[in-house]
Amino acid sequence: MTTTHQATAVTAEQIAEIAGDVWTSFLSMDLAPDGSEPLTGPTLTGCVHISGDWDGSVFVQCAADHARLAAEAMFAADPGTLSPDEVSDALGELTNMVGGNIKSLLPAPSKLSVPSVAGGDSYTLRIPGATRVEAVTLRSPGGPVHISIWKV
Amino acid sequence: MKILIVDDSRAMRMIVTRTLRQAGFGDHEFLEAENGAEGLALVDSADPDLVLSDWNMPEVNGIEFLQALRSKGSAVRFGFVTSESTDAMRTLAAEAGALFLIAKPFTADTFVTALGSVLAV
Repeated sequence: MTTTHQATAVTAEQIAEIAGDVWTSFLSMDLAPDGSEPLTGPTLTGCVHISGDWDGSVFVQCAADHARLAAEAMFAADPGTLSPDEVSDALGELTNMVGGNIKSLLPAPSKLSVPSVAGGDSYTLRIPGATRVEAVTLRSPGGPVHISIWKV
Repeated sequence: MKILIVDDSRAMRMIVTRTLRQAGFGDHEFLEAENGAEGLALVDSADPDLVLSDWNMPEVNGIEFLQALRSKGSAVRFGFVTSESTDAMRTLAAEAGALFLIAKPFTADTFVTALGSVLAV
């Protein structure tokens, strides 16, 4: 997949800064830019949609292991004690925060959807007619976190 | 005092509660609701002193929740804790009667600054 740079006011550096703030503040985890680490194995993807003067979506995809670690940090839970719904809740909220902060940098007015989360060994999320306009991969405990912005 | 925390994410409700305790507000009683509709019912039944509400929620969202409270005559102190913080949203929140808007991510210091004077009254 190729990243194309169409009209968007958000840079990869800004995405990394937003995500870094969220992960540090709520998970006490550092995220470091590292585009070389591939996402392998089971993953989860959180998604929020933005509609209005700017239409598109923000995806946050990470290894299932990272999603579990993130959820355990958010819930202050013991390892292995959270349900899949709780892990999805946590990733959805992380996606909501990343998407909400990205939305604040895009043309307004617009509305942010509530987040949805998909996961498993093999799945594809598509926004019909959308083009990826920016993306960044960040290194984290439990595997990489991939954040992308898609414009309709 | 009773503080009602309204957010569709249970993880976020836990983080808000934890941050309130870290900010020194742990002596207060915390109530929780998953959306504005549940929040409206709890304001009626539990009479909280402060509402901390997410903006982006299913069913009844945060601004609809606040507007519904004010339209029925409730003057409960109300602040937003939300991932969005544009100038337009801050203006809309203030016009609807919100005392503050805390942007996610936040720290305990953010809560001290926003809630200190509100809870001192």
